[in-house]
Amino acid sequence: MDKVSTICPYCGCGCGLYLHVENNSISGVSPVRNHPVNKGSLCVKGWNCFEFIQHPDRLTYPLIKEKGLFRRASWDEVLRLIATKLSGIKKSSGPDSIGVISSAKCTNEENYLMMKFARAVIGTNNIDHCARLCHSSTVGGLAGAFGSGAMTNSLNEIADARLLFVIGSNTTEQHPMIAMHMLDALNKGAILIVADPRKTQIAEFAHIHMKHRPGTDVALLNSVMNVIINEGLVDISYVKRRTENFDIFRETIMKYVPEVVEKTTGVPARDIKKAARLYATERRSMLFYAMGITQHVTGVDNVCSCANLAMLTAHIGLPMTGLNPLRGQNNVQGACDMGALPDVYSGYQKVADTKMRRKFEMAWMARLPSTQGLTLIEMFDSVLKGKIKAMYIMGENPLISDPDINYVLDAMKKLDFLIVQDVFMSDTAEIADVILPAATFAEKDGTFTNTERRVQKIRAAIKPVGESRPDWEIICALSKEMGYDMQYKATYEIMEEIALLTPIYRGILHHRLDENYGLQWPCTDITHRGTPFLHKKKFAKGLGSFIPVDFIPPAETPDKKFPFILTTGRMYFHYHTGTMCRRTSTLEREYPECLMEINPADADSLSVKNMEKVKVTSRRGSIIVRAYVTDKTAEGVVFIPFHFKEAAANLLANPALDPDAKIPEYKVCAVNIEPVK
Amino acid sequence: MKIKDIYLPLDAEIVEVTDMTPDIKLFKVKPERQFQYKPGQFIMASLWGKGEVPISITSTYGIHEYIELCIRRTGYVTSALHLLKPSIKIGIRGPFGNIFPITNARGKDILFVAGGLGLAPLRPLITQVMNEKKTFKRIALICGSRDPREILFKDDIDSWQKKGLQLILGVRKGLQLLLTIGKKDKSLQGKVSLDKEYLNKPKISFTNAYAFVCGPPIMINPTMNTLSTMGMDANNIFTSLEAHMKCGVGKCGHCYIDGKYVCTDGPVFSFAEIKKYGFY
Amino acid sequence: MKNSLILDKNYLSYWLRQLRKKMSLIAPVRAGNTDIVFKTVENIHEIELDCPASMPSPKGLLFPQKEDMFKFSKEEINIVRDNTRRLIFGVRSCDMSAVALLDKFFSKDFVDGYYMSRRENTIFISIVCNNPDPTCFCVGLGTGPFLKSGFDIQLTDIGDRYMVETDSKEGAALIKEYHYLFSKAKRSDYEDQYETILSSQTRFEKRINLENARQKILSERISDAFWEWVSKKCFECGGCVYECPLCACFNVLDRCDSEGNGIRFRIWDTCMFKGFTKMAGNICPAEKKGTRIKRWYFHKLIYYPEQFGKFGCVGCGRCTITCPGRIDMATIAHRIDIGNRRRR
Repeated sequence: MDKVSTICPYCGCGCGLYLHVENNSISGVSPVRNHPVNKGSLCVKGWNCFEFIQHPDRLTYPLIKEKGLFRRASWDEVLRLIATKLSGIKKSSGPDSIGVISSAKCTNEENYLMMKFARAVIGTNNIDHCARLCHSSTVGGLAGAFGSGAMTNSLNEIADARLLFVIGSNTTEQHPMIAMHMLDALNKGAILIVADPRKTQIAEFAHIHMKHRPGTDVALLNSVMNVIINEGLVDISYVKRRTENFDIFRETIMKYVPEVVEKTTGVPARDIKKAARLYATERRSMLFYAMGITQHVTGVDNVCSCANLAMLTAHIGLPMTGLNPLRGQNNVQGACDMGALPDVYSGYQKVADTKMRRKFEMAWMARLPSTQGLTLIEMFDSVLKGKIKAMYIMGENPLISDPDINYVLDAMKKLDFLIVQDVFMSDTAEIADVILPAATFAEKDGTFTNTERRVQKIRAAIKPVGESRPDWEIICALSKEMGYDMQYKATYEIMEEIALLTPIYRGILHHRLDENYGLQWPCTDITHRGTPFLHKKKFAKGLGSFIPVDFIPPAETPDKKFPFILTTGRMYFHYHTGTMCRRTSTLEREYPECLMEINPADADSLSVKNMEKVKVTSRRGSIIVRAYVTDKTAEGVVFIPFHFKEAAANLLANPALDPDAKIPEYKVCAVNIEPVK
Repeated sequence: MKIKDIYLPLDAEIVEVTDMTPDIKLFKVKPERQFQYKPGQFIMASLWGKGEVPISITSTYGIHEYIELCIRRTGYVTSALHLLKPSIKIGIRGPFGNIFPITNARGKDILFVAGGLGLAPLRPLITQVMNEKKTFKRIALICGSRDPREILFKDDIDSWQKKGLQLILGVRKGLQLLLTIGKKDKSLQGKVSLDKEYLNKPKISFTNAYAFVCGPPIMINPTMNTLSTMGMDANNIFTSLEAHMKCGVGKCGHCYIDGKYVCTDGPVFSFAEIKKYGFY
Repeated sequence: MKNSLILDKNYLSYWLRQLRKKMSLIAPVRAGNTDIVFKTVENIHEIELDCPASMPSPKGLLFPQKEDMFKFSKEEINIVRDNTRRLIFGVRSCDMSAVALLDKFFSKDFVDGYYMSRRENTIFISIVCNNPDPTCFCVGLGTGPFLKSGFDIQLTDIGDRYMVETDSKEGAALIKEYHYLFSKAKRSDYEDQYETILSSQTRFEKRINLENARQKILSERISDAFWEWVSKKCFECGGCVYECPLCACFNVLDRCDSEGNGIRFRIWDTCMFKGFTKMAGNICPAEKKGTRIKRWYFHKLIYYPEQFGKFGCVGCGRCTITCPGRIDMATIAHRIDIGNRRRR
C-alpha cells in the first residue's frame, strides 16, 4: 500500500490528492489535508478520479486504419508511418500544411515538447489548444490591459476577502474548491455579488444576484463603472499613478446610465447601483469570472471591461483583491504558459520578435518560422480550403468540444492524414488514420499549472497500461524518427530547458516543487519563492491601460424562427467531452443523460412537461434532449451541458468568433424548441 | 478460515423465455444446485459483465419445476437479460429477504391487490393460499392494469378462480383506479372515493382480513392507506417494497431506509411498519 | 489493566523490524510536508506517532475504495481474495473503535468475505492518543483517547517507555514471541499511564454531546426545514462518507472488454448522491439534498445505537476537515443540541 501525492486531472483548481496504490493497481484516492487549494476536501470528480485509469476501454496499443478499419500495430511501425507521412506532406506542401493541436490535459513538459515539435521539427506555428475555446479572450484582453493574462491573486486569499464579485462563473459546480473558499469568506461576513443569467448554487448565497441577459456583460459592467465614476468612487490617485487612457475611457462609460442599461440587461438599476457602491468602497474586493465572460464574440471586450473595473477601483496589485479568471482545464494555464499557441513561445515570448526567435533558434538548433500560425478554429477553415493536409491532435476531442460539430467533421474527413494521441477511443480518434495510445496523469511524471499559476508536480503511481506511453515519450520518439533527436531522459530535464528559456519559469525546477505544494510563477530565479499576487506596485506592462469598449449584441439574437437563447456549459458531475467522467460509475449514474434546463413558464407555453423529450434546433443542426423544468434558468433562456455525445450541444453552438481572440460564442445562440411526441 | 462467498452467484440455465407483454418477459431458470425459497423472497439475478439486479421470485417451490422470474425491461441489466435465449446461463444469488406472513392469516379473509407487475411477487403467495384454501375464509384478488393485454398470468388467474377466488379485474375501471393513484396530479388525488368504491367490491370483512398489496411504488401507499381507512388493521396490510439494491445481504446500504434494510428486514413490510419508518 | 507490560522505547524499532519480516508493516508516515498518511513503511524511523490525525482513516486498508471481487472470463470465474498479512501500527483509538464496529457490521447476519479475509490477516497496534486535533471529539464518546477493550495491542506513551496492553489472542502472540523485550509493569507505571490519559483528556478543544442531540431528535423531531437549510451548503462531494471510518456503503460494478473478460468490483458509494437510491424508472426516494443529509445523521445518531448499541460516529473529526460546505457531525450535533437553528 503506497500513497502517491499528485494533482487532480479535472478542473483548474489543481487540488492535491493521494492515489492509493496496491500491486500496480489504484485502489483509491484521498485529499491532501494541508494543500493550499483544497485543504483536505475534494469534489465528487476528485473523489472518483481514479476509476477511469484502469478502465478496459483504455487504448493499449497503437492503431493504424486500413480500409476503414483499425488494426493493431507496433510502435516502430506506427512511428515510421507517421514520420514518412508528415515528412512527405511537409516536403510537398510546405510545413504550414500541417496543424498541431496540443492539450490542456497534458503536462507542461508535454506541451512544451509539442510546441517544440511543431516549430523546430515540422517548422510551423500552426499550434493551438483548447484554451482558444475557453480563455483566449482572457489571454488577449488582459495582455492588452495589464500585460499578463492570468489570475492575479491566489486562492487561499479568498477566505479573507470582504467582497466577492462573481460574474459568469458557476463556481460551486465548476470550481468547487474555489467555491469552498468563497463560502468560508461568507462565513466570515463577506458580501457576495453574483452576475449570472442562471440561478446557480453560488447565486443562492448572493446578497445581490444580477440576472442579466446572456451576452449583455459589457453593458452591465459599463453601467457599474458608470455609477462608480458618477458617484465619485474612483480611486483617483491610483488611476493617475498606475494607469493610462482614462479620459477616453471615461467618455465611453458616460453613456451607460443604469436606468438605460436596465432595458438591455434586464437588471434593475437599483441592483447595479448597489453592486457598484459595494464593490468600489470595500478595500478587499475580489472579482472572479469564467466562461460566462469569455465565450462570446465580445469575449475580449468583456474581459477588458472586467479589467477596467478592477483598475478603476484600485482592486489590483494587493492581496485579497484582483481580477481572477478561473481557468477550466487542469493545465490550461500551463499549456498557455508553455506557448502551445500560434503566436508565442513559452512564457508569452512573441514569435514575431526576432530577438526571441533567435534565442529559441539557438537553443533548439533549428530555423524557426516567423509568421504567426493559425488558431484552432481557423485551422479547420484552412483544412476545408485545402491548405492544411495533416493534423496531429494530442489529447483533445474537437468533435464534441468545438462549435458547429458538423463543420469540424467535414474538415477532419477532408484531411489526408490525421494523427490522434489519446487515452480513450474518443469521437475524434474514431476518424483518425493512426491512433497513439497515451498514458494518463497517474502513469507519468510532470507538472501542471493551476488557475492561480501554481506549478505543481504530478507523479507516476502505476506503470502505463498496456503499451501506452506518456505523451512526452511519444513526442520524443516521433521527433527522433523524423531526424531531430530531442534526447530527454526524464521530464525534469525538459523542465530545466523550459526554465532556461522562459523568464517567468526560471526558478521552477522539479526538485523545488516537492516542498510547499509547488511554486506560483513568476518565479524568476532559483531562490525566488513564487508570486502569490501579480502587478504589485507596477503592472507587468508598466502602466495599466483602460480600454474603452462599447456594448455589441451577440452574433445571434432570438427571432421568430429561433425564439430562445441557448447557453451551453458544464455540469457538476461531468467534465468536458466526457471521455473520463463518463467512464466513472458514480458520475455517470448521477447524471446519465443530457438534460436541457428550461424555465417553467416556457415549458408551459410549449406544453412540455418535466423529463419529456424535446427537439432543439439552431441554424446549424438539431438534437433531441429531455427537458428539465426548473427556475434555475430565466424565461427565454435554455441551458444544455455539452458533455454528451448522444446529444451534443455543440452541434447547435454558433461558431461566430471574437475578432481578436478567435473564441467562439458558446454562450449565446438562437434556437427553436419543439416537443417530441 | 474459509468463508462462504455471499457475493458468488450460482449458475442457472435459462430453460424457457416467454414474452408476457412487449416489455415483460418470463424467464424459467434451472439452478445448478437445489434452491429452496418461499413466497415473498427475491434473488439477485447476475449477468457477468453487466451487473446484478434484484428480482422477486414468481414461482412456488415444490409446484413449479423451475425458478420463474418475471422481468420488466427498465435498465441496463434488465435490457441485457431480455436479449438472452434458452440454454444460456445466468447467475442467481439468494434467496434473500423475509416472507409473506401468511400463517397468521389463517382463518381470516384475504385480499390481494396487484397492480401491473405487482402480481409477480404475489403469485406464489396466491398459489399457496389457494392450495390451502380450507384454512382461510374468503379470498379476493383485485388485479389492475393499464392495458387489458398487460394482465399477467391469465392461466393462473383462471385456475385460482376455479378454486373459488373472487376476482375483480381492474382493466377498465381499474385503469381509472390506477391512474387515480398513479398520477401525482392534485386534482385527481381528491377522488379517493373511487378507489374506495373499487376496493369495496370484494365481499370480505375488512375488519377481520389480511391484505397483500403489490405494484408500482406510487400506487402502494395510497392503496394501503385507503384499506386502513376502510377498517383494516395497519398491522395486517402487507406489501413488498422495491429498492435500489446491490448486495441483497444488508451490506451495500443502497436499500437502507430509516434503520431498516429492505433486503434483509424486508422486502415484505406491514403498513404499520411503513408508516413508522417513513418509507416513500 | 492487570497484566500490562512495559516496552522500552529503544526496543520498539527492533520489535517492529522483527514483526515486519512476517507481515507487511503499515504505519503513519509523513507525506509531502505536513500530511500524515498510512502506508507501507520503508524506513521504520519514518513512523510518526506524535502527529495530527491521518487523512484518510485506516478504513481503506480493510475496505479499499475500489476492491476487485471476481475476475471472470468466458471459461471461469475466480474469487479475488486479499490474504496479505498486515500489521497496522500506530492507529488512533477512535479508528480502532471504528474497526471494532465495522467488524460487527460486516459479520452481522451474513459474513462479508472480502472484509473478513483482510481483517483476519490484519493485526492492529493502537496507540493512546496524546495529540488530539482541534477537530477531535472522541473524548465524549468513549471511543478515545484510550480504549479499555476492543484492540489487539494498545500502547501508552509514558515518557521513555510504552505501557503495553493486549486484548486479543493474536495480539498476545506477537508479544509472547518477543517476550524478552517486555517487562512487567510496576505500580508506578500504572500511575504514569493514568497521568498520561488524564492529561490527554484535557487537551480536547471540542466536547460534543451526541446523546443530547439524539434525545433532541427523538423527542422534539427536528423539522425537515432544518435539514433543507443545512443542505444549502452541501456540495454533494460525498467527502463526509468517504472519510468516515464507519461508513461502508458500496456499489458493485462489472467492467469487461469485448471478449467477455473482466472484473466485478465494488467501489465506495455514498448516500449523499441522488443516484444512490434511484430506482429504475427514475423513482427516487431521496430526491432532496436535505433528505439525504438527514438520512445520514439519523443513521449515525439513531439507528446505530439501536442496532449496535453505539453511535455511528467515533469523533475522529474527519468530516469537519473534509466538508467544503462546513457541514459535519460536530457542527450539526452541536447545533441540534443547543437548538440554535437561525445563525448562518
